[in-house]
Amino acid sequence: MELNRRSVLAAIGAGTAAAALAGCGGGASSAGSADGPAEGEITLLTPIYEGADGKTLLEKKILGGFRKKYPDVKVNVDYTTYAQLNEKITTGLAGGLLPDVLMMGVGWIPPFAAKKAIAELPETLASAHDYEKRVLEPSRYDGKLYALPVVLDTRIVVYRKDHFAEAGVRKTPANWSELRAVAKQLTRDGRVGFDPFSIDLRQCWETFLFANGGELFSADGKKVLFTGARGVEALQLFKDLVKDGSADYARKTDAGAPSNVQTGKASMMMTTSALWVQVKEQNPDLIEDDKLGSFVLANRRPAMLQGGTLVTQAARSRHPAAARALVEYLATPDSILGAAEQRGSVPGLSDLDDTGYVKENQFVDLSLKNLQHAFSEGGTAAWMEIREKIKPTLEPAIVGDQSAKDAIAELGRLAEAAIGRM
Amino acid sequence: MATTELLEPAPALRRRTVPLGRIALYVTLSVVSLLMVVPFAWMVLTSLRTPVEIASQDAGLLPEHWEFGNYADALKAAPFATYARNSFIIAISHTVLNVLVASMAGYALARIRFRGSEMIFYLFVAALMIPTYTKVLPEFLIVRFMPLAGGNDILGQGGSGWLDSWWALIVPGAVTPFAVFLFRQFYLDLPVELEEAARLDGLGEYRIYSRIMSPQVKPAFITVALLTFESSWNNFLWPLLVTHTDSLRVIQVGLSVFKTENGTQWHFLMAGTTLATLPMVVLFLIGQRYFVQGFATAGLK
Repeated sequence: MELNRRSVLAAIGAGTAAAALAGCGGGASSAGSADGPAEGEITLLTPIYEGADGKTLLEKKILGGFRKKYPDVKVNVDYTTYAQLNEKITTGLAGGLLPDVLMMGVGWIPPFAAKKAIAELPETLASAHDYEKRVLEPSRYDGKLYALPVVLDTRIVVYRKDHFAEAGVRKTPANWSELRAVAKQLTRDGRVGFDPFSIDLRQCWETFLFANGGELFSADGKKVLFTGARGVEALQLFKDLVKDGSADYARKTDAGAPSNVQTGKASMMMTTSALWVQVKEQNPDLIEDDKLGSFVLANRRPAMLQGGTLVTQAARSRHPAAARALVEYLATPDSILGAAEQRGSVPGLSDLDDTGYVKENQFVDLSLKNLQHAFSEGGTAAWMEIREKIKPTLEPAIVGDQSAKDAIAELGRLAEAAIGRM
Repeated sequence: MATTELLEPAPALRRRTVPLGRIALYVTLSVVSLLMVVPFAWMVLTSLRTPVEIASQDAGLLPEHWEFGNYADALKAAPFATYARNSFIIAISHTVLNVLVASMAGYALARIRFRGSEMIFYLFVAALMIPTYTKVLPEFLIVRFMPLAGGNDILGQGGSGWLDSWWALIVPGAVTPFAVFLFRQFYLDLPVELEEAARLDGLGEYRIYSRIMSPQVKPAFITVALLTFESSWNNFLWPLLVTHTDSLRVIQVGLSVFKTENGTQWHFLMAGTTLATLPMVVLFLIGQRYFVQGFATAGLK
């Protein structure tokens, strides 16, 4: 078993948090009512709104509007990064000082709802705006609503139109056999046809699993479903692409570094909708010359992995009405649009389909038009433990000799053990 | 004798061998130095490029346009003056506390005979082996439930303890078992005659430690000071966990604003990192002679 900072903290934190909650003798039921007047001093923990621009957006624009509406609420903001968010929440939970309002990733709601760390929200909030049904799925646990989406980050395929034209490829691949053939056709002169590896391997494999008709877990989150043929085929495809020479794990790029489609070292790549903003900054000519296209990965069905940031409320907030008011406010169309624009993310509301931001950002536009094909990771209370194991377990199959079947079987065993400990 | 002849090469041959060895040594050291310098040079050069140039495949070794404005823009992205001040306060506090307390502890373990000193030393050695991240949560809970602090009662309940305060940033981790170990090794090597002469002259234990023995182990002091300052300056996770207000955040947390889930602003990140690295480089240049000596004497490589 790999022992790293996150796994150590997660293991210690889970035990301590459970003990702390047990010691407090209650759960969500003991949280204060959110029906009273919104007042008091609350804390918001956020991994987004980064940098000076993000801070100005949040503190001046969004919270400025919130203060006008709720003058008796003071909001202190605790900025963190996604890399340290789990540690921040885990230590806060263990210490009994969880921030009143928390922003967290897709897949994170079931683990923290199961620990009774976050509060259930009224179902009326699910219909307050025009949400696509799939967008709200990661906000639920056990059928109940615990969070509202703020921004989404989808995983799509971006390709070079000029490379397609050179190679005589006229349409984007509709299934994996076409994808493999097109990738081979595009591989030439030191460039690879397809780069699936420059996004997180966990999220990449999940996208292929969903496109292959597979699922991660059963609806109740207690059974592992990815160990069948669908999951193995998804991993095997990566091995086949590497064997063909049309994908190369060693040539993946880091987030933020010029991506392989930008530099022309790959003709297609798995990426997030946020790539548009990066290209605009680093290679604006690619957009001006209309050299980039995008499509949703498909095999047995089209599938787009939906990540993103949700906002939720701590179960034990001392000012539940104020915390609830902030959760609702951060999920209003105006707040969502501002956050999406700042990060190059997808605003998960159909109300915002026609805004200038969506129309200008082609990757966001594609994502919004395909939200019915969105799938989310997570779905089990053991997700925080399992998510850390996916990449190190699957990687040896891609870079080494381990078979896809063995790697998936091993991951299945680890996931079952994690679920068993819940 | 044949053996003697073989062992003593002709003077001309000896003259030729020595320069060759020297040349090989200098070439090797130059290559190693170059390998060490390249990441720093890359960092500085990247900090002076535009995002378009960073992404470009045809970019030369030197920036096409020297974008010194990146530094000003990076500094505007976060309150770096506050972060740098905080990092300095914490790093200097840790350095002073560690040098002072660990040297006293090391001296006591090396030079004073008392029951259980061996056991205490072994406990320090054992503490060296505890992975840092396993200590984060227990330390966090100690800070959170600190009695009579931050609104807490005598049982540590009701408030937030030392969280979001200078106490949380400075006290935990101020004294390290490694520093105690290092000082002990240095004090052990000092001749017992020195100590005995001081006692005969009527010096007390504290004056023997401070006036006689400690001046003999200057390299240990410099080494511990530099290592403590460096580790404290670069600390990221602990300050992030125990603070939530911007006015208490440190420079490493400030740098993280340039690296987000959706991308990294390399030009700003490298500009900020260059500035954050400067104090460490200056400190090392000042104390490098003692630093190397410290490691050599302690037998650490």
